Amino acid sequence: MVSPTPVRHAVVVEDDADIRGLLVLVLEQLDFVVTEAPDGLSGVEAVRTTNAELVTLDVNLPDIDGMEVCRRLREFSDAYILMLTARADEIDRLNGLDTGADDYINKPFSPKELQARIRALFRRARTPAAPAEDPHQSDELERAAVVQHSLLPRETVRLEGYDVAGAFRPTRSVGGDFYDWYQTRDGMHLTFADAMGKGMGAALIAATVRAVMRSVADTPAIFDAFSSASTTIASDLDQSGSFATMFHARLDSASGKLSYIDAGHGLALHIPAEGAAQRLVSAGPPVGILDGQHWPASELDLEPGDSLVIVSDGVLDAHDSLEDFMVNVEKAARSGDTSEDVCAALLELAPAATAEDDVTAVVVRRKPDATH
Amino acid sequence: MQMQFSYEVKDSYAEVKSVGRLNMVAAPKLREVVNEVVASGSSRVVVNLAETDFMDSSGLGALIGCLKAARQAGGDLRIAGVQPQVKMVLELTNMDRVLTAYPSAEEAFGDD
Repeated sequence: MVSPTPVRHAVVVEDDADIRGLLVLVLEQLDFVVTEAPDGLSGVEAVRTTNAELVTLDVNLPDIDGMEVCRRLREFSDAYILMLTARADEIDRLNGLDTGADDYINKPFSPKELQARIRALFRRARTPAAPAEDPHQSDELERAAVVQHSLLPRETVRLEGYDVAGAFRPTRSVGGDFYDWYQTRDGMHLTFADAMGKGMGAALIAATVRAVMRSVADTPAIFDAFSSASTTIASDLDQSGSFATMFHARLDSASGKLSYIDAGHGLALHIPAEGAAQRLVSAGPPVGILDGQHWPASELDLEPGDSLVIVSDGVLDAHDSLEDFMVNVEKAARSGDTSEDVCAALLELAPAATAEDDVTAVVVRRKPDATH
Repeated sequence: MQMQFSYEVKDSYAEVKSVGRLNMVAAPKLREVVNEVVASGSSRVVVNLAETDFMDSSGLGALIGCLKAARQAGGDLRIAGVQPQVKMVLELTNMDRVLTAYPSAEEAFGDD
């Protein structure tokens, strides 16, 4: 990619000096700056002091075992952890456990295979850092998850000529994603937002955003509605030092006219029945960043066969570039017969095993044969 | 021994170097370091991102929090050495208009 290449640190936790030496060589060939640790406790310390991005970890260590090292590392580090074990059958057992490791490899190992595995790890999106197992915190996380879940719309939107679906997959750490919709006399209103942060703080901000957006449902013009709502939201956000990216849209179902405002979200796409997908460009920064900000509204014609697709940044983070992201979202959008299928395909773009953030998708599809 | 964030107080600004992924784990640390810098009297801060090739929304949140802290203290926060993925996130969220990117830390406060 782009020079200069950042320095990457790795820690080798291995009690056998010969294997340790070999691992150091293998990692140095991949341009890692390597620190050696002969036992678990010094390994944990080495990761802490070097802020390593990669750890190779022997399962059997003289002091604490590899599983315990993993658990301790996950309290503060999101380094890639590659576990090494001398027993082939142990890999199955480890795979079944939630150790927090990213991959497992058998000893004796081939240096080439090990290097290939490490390259593969760094190509894929980060696995979630396990939340601290502090019981008080897990309890709060559970409550935050309940709040977050309660924000999703319970009612389905049944609009003649349209197929509307949404899907949401939370992370264990609970983010600030949510979507909301409701039917109106002319069609529907839709809000898609991501409040920055994790846990109860993010969930409460999301709840505020949802309530405030609902309170302006009867304001006739989308610009006025959003201006008034965003002012209220921004003052709340300012107190908590947070911000929220938002996409708000109003659909007139008979004409297919969609008015929308994008505040720093930038991940809504118009997928026409024919022709290339277009990303709806954001009209300004997220809500809660600058005072007195206004976001102009835009319009889009949703023709029969067209879809509006909105995803959260969890989907983007699973891609190397915006181009890859666009290609895959468009492919997913054209893959399913129903909006629900498409939502499932969109969530799959950020596989649960590696996604670091909540993943959310909403699809509004105007059916090809829409007639009245 | 390398930390994720280090800083150096220069003549007219303080440079904070960020090394590695600016994500959920790193974000609180960046806030800590910048708050420390601002509290010690340097409210003109450049965050050098030349060695940060990934930033998620938590990282963006931290930068914005730091920007607010610097402005509250009468200064500003600017960024330098922005890598492609970070640039993409800034553009998508329209934050490139708020957080001005400069090629290098030296140039960030070069105009004033």
